[in-house]
Amino acid sequence: MTPRLSRRTLATGLALSPLLAPAVVRAQGEPIRLGTLTPLTGAGGPYGPSMRKAMEGVIEAVNGAGGIGGRRIQLYGEDTQTNPDAAVRAARKLIDVDRVSAIMGTWASAVTTAVAPLCWESRTMLFTVSGADSITQLPHRGFIIRTQPNSTLQITKLAAFLGERGAKRIFILAAQTPFALPNKEILDREMPKYGGQVLGQVIYDREKTVFRSEVDQALRARPDFIFLNGYTPDVTILLRELFRAGWTGGKVAPAYAVNQRLLDSLPAEVTNGTVTWAPSPDVESPAFKRLQALLGTNDPDPYSCQTNDHASLAALAIAKAGASTGDAIRETVRKISQGQGQPVTDVVEGLRLIAAGREINYNGASGLCDFTETGDILTCPFRYEQAEGAKLKTLRIS
Amino acid sequence: MENYLVAMAVFAALYGMMALGLNVIWGMAGMINLGLVGFMAVGAYTSALVTVRHATWPMWAGVLAATAVSSLAGAAVARITARLKGDYLAIVTLGFSEVVRLVASNEIRFTNGTDGISAIPGPFRGQVAPATFNLIYLGLAAAALLLVFLLCQRLRHSPYGRVLRAIRDDDQVAAVAGKPVLRFKTEAFAIGAAITGFAGALYAHYNAYIAPEGFVPLITIYIVLALTAGGTGTNTGAVVGAALVVAFMEGTRFVVAAIPGLAAVQVAAVREFLIAALLILVLRYRPRGLFPEHHRRYPIPDERR
Amino acid sequence: MLSHIVEELPQLVVNGLVVGTILALPAIGFTAIYAVLRFPNFTVASHATMGAYAGFVANVWLGLPIVPSLALAFLIPALSGLLCDEVVLKPLRRSSAATGPMAAAIAAVALTIALENVIRFVFGNDLRGYDLPVYRDWRFDLGFAFLRIGPQQVENAAISLAVMTAVFLFLAFTRTGKMMRAVADNPTLASIKGINAETVARLASLIGMGLVGVGGMLLGLDTSIDPLTGFRAVLTVFAAAVVGGLGSIPGAVVGAIAVGIGEELSLLVLDASYRTAVGFVAILVVLTFRPRGILGERAY
Repeated sequence: MTPRLSRRTLATGLALSPLLAPAVVRAQGEPIRLGTLTPLTGAGGPYGPSMRKAMEGVIEAVNGAGGIGGRRIQLYGEDTQTNPDAAVRAARKLIDVDRVSAIMGTWASAVTTAVAPLCWESRTMLFTVSGADSITQLPHRGFIIRTQPNSTLQITKLAAFLGERGAKRIFILAAQTPFALPNKEILDREMPKYGGQVLGQVIYDREKTVFRSEVDQALRARPDFIFLNGYTPDVTILLRELFRAGWTGGKVAPAYAVNQRLLDSLPAEVTNGTVTWAPSPDVESPAFKRLQALLGTNDPDPYSCQTNDHASLAALAIAKAGASTGDAIRETVRKISQGQGQPVTDVVEGLRLIAAGREINYNGASGLCDFTETGDILTCPFRYEQAEGAKLKTLRIS
Repeated sequence: MENYLVAMAVFAALYGMMALGLNVIWGMAGMINLGLVGFMAVGAYTSALVTVRHATWPMWAGVLAATAVSSLAGAAVARITARLKGDYLAIVTLGFSEVVRLVASNEIRFTNGTDGISAIPGPFRGQVAPATFNLIYLGLAAAALLLVFLLCQRLRHSPYGRVLRAIRDDDQVAAVAGKPVLRFKTEAFAIGAAITGFAGALYAHYNAYIAPEGFVPLITIYIVLALTAGGTGTNTGAVVGAALVVAFMEGTRFVVAAIPGLAAVQVAAVREFLIAALLILVLRYRPRGLFPEHHRRYPIPDERR
Repeated sequence: MLSHIVEELPQLVVNGLVVGTILALPAIGFTAIYAVLRFPNFTVASHATMGAYAGFVANVWLGLPIVPSLALAFLIPALSGLLCDEVVLKPLRRSSAATGPMAAAIAAVALTIALENVIRFVFGNDLRGYDLPVYRDWRFDLGFAFLRIGPQQVENAAISLAVMTAVFLFLAFTRTGKMMRAVADNPTLASIKGINAETVARLASLIGMGLVGVGGMLLGLDTSIDPLTGFRAVLTVFAAAVVGGLGSIPGAVVGAIAVGIGEELSLLVLDASYRTAVGFVAILVVLTFRPRGILGERAY
């Protein structure tokens, strides 16, 4: 006869069973929480959705391969609206309500500057694609990782490019951002090396829709090249206004401003000849090729390549640390992103190696992903293009 | 989740304070102020500028400075328009809040422009867990609200308050009775502005970040809604109304987010629309609010007695 | 310093004339409504935006040329303005509570926000442009200074002048126009003479907001439009009305040109972004020294 369990035994057994279950099985219910904070609307709107999609792709791959230590990753996504005020509210929600360990993908420098203190005070890791130098100079105690080259590197490359195009007298029309003034200072310093100089700068409020007087001011200085350091909506108006004013000299702008969307919204004669420059992703990397397939385009934008790496770095750091807090990511991210370990470009492959106890060095779709103590990357290739007949023609990548 | 509710309670306290300030100006003195958010911004920026951007004064000094500067601004605005019809005051106060935002956006060296001011200090922020900080601040905000409430109640029941209400109901009669109407109106406006600036400074220290973007006319609508929903003219009404407005605002966040197929910008537009529409409905159908002021009616004594 | 002023002055005056001519339309609308209804209708901001978008829909989505688009930019805000007044603002203005008119003013602000969000719901926040070719400006060499003026600017000013002329002719020569002037000047006398104040009030809202809408579209033709187009111009419109004399229609025109040129001249000393602050300062100055404005408070 089989012994029958008395109700008391059963009840005691049930009460004691959680104590008997191994910790891993208990944690199996507890998902890892990560947040994406990208510009789904506003000036960064052309990039935000695909930046998010890239991260979702990484998380799906990780969850599909069994998660990290048996735990799934739960992704929470919010929109910055390319607006620091909205971004701060969204970040509060991610940190206080969703309790994420990392926020990934902030794009505009003003957004990142506003959100950063919330992150380091709550010990949440922040991965960003913003370029302003001031960001990594904040007292973030290691909670910021930036996959985009900083302004110093970007403007140094710009100066060399302008030098080789023969620009001698440059005037800057800059949108109000944390990098407007620092960029001018760096350009002031670099241009003389190529025989050129910066004549002056006008900083405008990008909420306006009329820039006639700003353009007049620029033209009065009689430059041969105008640097439009703004975002797509304001640069669109500026290009139109420059055309109306009869400008026939050089025009240069960041690639995120003069993108296909801008070229489609203006007549070709208005945009022809505009040159752009931007950090280039690592087009040889297998990670890049995988991203091409995921996003369905031959030309994934550099930001989506970076956010792909944000998500991969976060996942690998959590796996290596064995814990999913912001502190854990902060302490171990450099152990998997650089050093003597085996180079990997795929997050699932990396997780497998970590689980097997091996050291890895993640190289991503955006580049080698090796970071300094303050969170900056060392260097990366750049891409230079020119607008011709409402299309962008690549001049070179170097 | 609790963190979120605590944060909402803090905002309710701040809006309650600003509604009390509006009550002094509108409910008691009968003057219009369509630029409340401008005084809030003046308070927030003053405190942020002296505590983090240009100096490192302690928080209490910043808040005090904010209150002083806002009251001066209020006095100036009132002085210029006090003798004129209410329509002009309406235009000037609307313009005031827009100009404040303009200056904040453009004086980059002074206010950091549209990028805003970050890392504004708060009591024990960074030294305690965010949840604890929230609770500490809730205590602070509640204490401040109580202080302002008691002040306004004293004002209301004092002879000063009676004069204000007399001016509101008919300022010619008050003038004939010998009251310096202009002085009273300017003072009342300044007091209301001071309270609004005080609340604005507390907002800055709570949020740790302010930007010109954040100070939009919609906030004036929130405050007016808080006062009118609660009951124009009563201080209790102001506080209750503020709690209702915050509950409504946050409620719309969840309700509208549940509507399928809306883009983020449409969700935001629907929420703003609902707040504005609610104010219009309240003004139209419940203008005395939920806790209307009781007009005491004195019976004319019978002459035969 | 002086040479720099002399060099820039002609351009600034020309720009100011163009801007002033365009802003005269919403200023007339606002002041006309004030003249007849004795109420500052703050919904002009969203109605200007509405006009800009109505024209956009006509021009870009329906492919209509400029003139029919302008007609739509008049019609849609006109009807909306009438509806808003009938349903929301009039009952509040008429209410017997001491706070009646103020409640109406606040309701107008709430209404303008509500309408702006309806527009935002439909069109989103992105900048839109009309379907027009981009031309190089005409340049004139005056010897001591250069002048540039865009064909679009000239066209806008011409349209505005045409509409203004139509308004003046209407007010001066038609029966309805004369009725409106009568009610604005002296409502009691007008009602004794049998003029229906209600009808005139409705007409004022209709025509006033229509003008505001056309002004909004003209503003957008030169640049781009977004849900905040009208709101950005509103302080300048108020300034034009107050400077010229609140309630005076010729005053609105004078005020608009004065404020337009004043704002442009301020560029000699101020940053370009402070343009609307100049309008505000103009209001303060006028209210301090001559509250009834340049042409006083007579309606016509």
